[in-house]
Amino acid sequence: MKTLITFLIALILSFTVSAVNDDSSLKANFTTGDPGVTSINSMTFGPEGILFIGDSKSAQIIAIDVSKDPKVDNSKVKIDHLDKLIADMLGTTIDQVQITDMAVNPENKNIYISVHHGSGTPVLLRVENNNLKQIGLASISHSKTTIKDPINKEVKDKWDRELRKWAVADMKYTSGKVLLSGLSNKEFASTFRSLDFPFTEKQNYGSLEIYHAAHGKYETHAPIKTFIPTKIKGKSHIVAAYTCTPLVVFPMDDIKPGQNNKGRTVAELGSGNSPLDIIEVKSGETRYLLIANTNRPLMRMDFSHLETFEKSLTQPVTIKGATEGVAYVNMPFVNVQQLDAYGEDGFLMIQRESSGNLTLKHGSSWWIQK
Amino acid sequence: MKYLICIFLFVYSIPEVFSQTPLEFTFDKDFISLQRKSNTSKDIKVYRGGLSEDKLSNAIPVLGKIIENETTLRFIPIVSFGWDQEYTVVYNNVVDYFKINLPDRYEHLSVEAVYPSASKLPSNLLKWYLEFSKPINQTRIYEHILFTNAHGDTLDKAILSLENALVTDNGRLLTVWIDPGRQKRDLMPNKQLGPVFEEGSKYSLIVQKKLKDREGVLMLNDFSHQFEIIKADRLQPNINVWEIEIPHPNTLSDLIIHCKESMDYGSVLGSVAIQNTRKQKIKGSWQLKDHESILIFTPTHPWDKGKCQLVINTQLEDLAGNNLNRLFDSDINDVSFMHSSIKERILEFVIE
Repeated sequence: MKTLITFLIALILSFTVSAVNDDSSLKANFTTGDPGVTSINSMTFGPEGILFIGDSKSAQIIAIDVSKDPKVDNSKVKIDHLDKLIADMLGTTIDQVQITDMAVNPENKNIYISVHHGSGTPVLLRVENNNLKQIGLASISHSKTTIKDPINKEVKDKWDRELRKWAVADMKYTSGKVLLSGLSNKEFASTFRSLDFPFTEKQNYGSLEIYHAAHGKYETHAPIKTFIPTKIKGKSHIVAAYTCTPLVVFPMDDIKPGQNNKGRTVAELGSGNSPLDIIEVKSGETRYLLIANTNRPLMRMDFSHLETFEKSLTQPVTIKGATEGVAYVNMPFVNVQQLDAYGEDGFLMIQRESSGNLTLKHGSSWWIQK
Repeated sequence: MKYLICIFLFVYSIPEVFSQTPLEFTFDKDFISLQRKSNTSKDIKVYRGGLSEDKLSNAIPVLGKIIENETTLRFIPIVSFGWDQEYTVVYNNVVDYFKINLPDRYEHLSVEAVYPSASKLPSNLLKWYLEFSKPINQTRIYEHILFTNAHGDTLDKAILSLENALVTDNGRLLTVWIDPGRQKRDLMPNKQLGPVFEEGSKYSLIVQKKLKDREGVLMLNDFSHQFEIIKADRLQPNINVWEIEIPHPNTLSDLIIHCKESMDYGSVLGSVAIQNTRKQKIKGSWQLKDHESILIFTPTHPWDKGKCQLVINTQLEDLAGNNLNRLFDSDINDVSFMHSSIKERILEFVIE
């Protein structure tokens, strides 16, 4: 009898726990319906299978719940001719297809790819058995918030802002906050935003104008192209890669909303190049940053080198193509267009190979082993 | 339904297929509708391209939804069918083909305006705006815009490469950034590659006809716009030298503001406003004239007598990205260029 009672209590508790998980505090404000996604410029995962979508066209951040998507084994994923596959699925030509981002759910390793068709239609796809499945967005559990224009907020209705656009360049989730970097079509400004999550009616809006003085004596105001929140010497930092290719670190504690926050430039990654994605991976106890670029191979930077580099680069690199600061290794992967971590010790990429084949594949873990 | 056609466009040698009753269907840009066969599958498959039957087993069908009623099945693709794109449709084991031809009188995309519109521009020019006749296709759009020098050579790494195009909501106005890293002195790209434009030289802005509209249709011709480069603009816009032509009361006459230099098109339209002394916004519309150096405000209602204020957002920029608070590449060690944090500036005038 005791065993039966224990079993029944355990059963009831398991349902209770299950119910709590289904309606966690993070998803308490979620509703099922059409979130009105009009573009998918950037994606990142938060906890509990929450996928954040940066929608520049509608100036909104949408959190969708994909935790119930079936878990599939992507450990051997390899999709060749990815652009042709997507073009076939959309009934269009390859030049009408643009892959805008890729994100891996860290909890079940499901892979999501966002695509824009030339008509402006956004499409969200999930990898399943080396193929792609569409994620319907017309009725999905979600929560969303508007990316507010700081000027509009301060001087309501005075200016005609119809021409203003702000494109999300990168987005990451950390400790209850969604962090955003982007570029306006009007001002060249290093705008960095922080939104509380779960989103609230009263949005805790922060606009951080970050500048760095690494390039000789002139400010850059360059926008952050891609970034990652991480730990350096045990403390929370943001490592940001800029359009002008310096790699800059900012202690999170020092970033004050509404102020110009001066970062410390730790590396130059080469001119004529623009960073695309930055991720963190581990091999044993060794942590690495991997950086994908437009005109340089995939770069690997050892965190221990980053942590011991305490200087700030203050002089411009004058030798053409030269780099400076924290050392890094160029890995034999060129034209990596999308990059994300696959678990703690793996990485996944979409790469245009020298043959012209656009492929989704794993990077060999051999390259991040000591 | 303009393109509603009910014909079988292509004939392929597939004996098995043609031994069966041919499909009866209609189609448009947004759907294909078939006569429903009783007691048969509801499943319509549409494939990109004209595929022979032996290739269908490995082909990936187009994504879409099927809407059924008693007599028809309708397949709606998630993006509209493309012009001049051939498709294969399979229903009830019968294969057929369709294509929507581009109409002869299709209005092709064209460039309607270029800003800055002046023929002489400062060497540290920062932005261009291209206004198109209809919404543009944003896929890799910056690959189709380039600058050439007087010899016709393309300038390398002139444009800031952006994955996400900066296009206004109507889909017609595109912002093109000249690589700020090259235009701003002392940055690494500037040191290593030099500024994009040289003083005294002539250039062309080219929009290649490969650039498509939102329907996926090319422009008919390349677009070319010539300009000459003069010395860099290293002065902030000075509103104290602006001249205001004040309209008469009880009229809808224009308020005309002479800025004495070309202003940044995208910046200026959102950075000026007129208000009365009670801080109430005076409604009206703005135009730019004389190569964006003259601002014209036409009120919606007749002017009242009294004081008015021209309010200028300090983010207003000139062609080189200098705004009312700072130069685009000010020397951070030079205290004389300390940035102001003022949000707006005001010029008062009296309607009398």
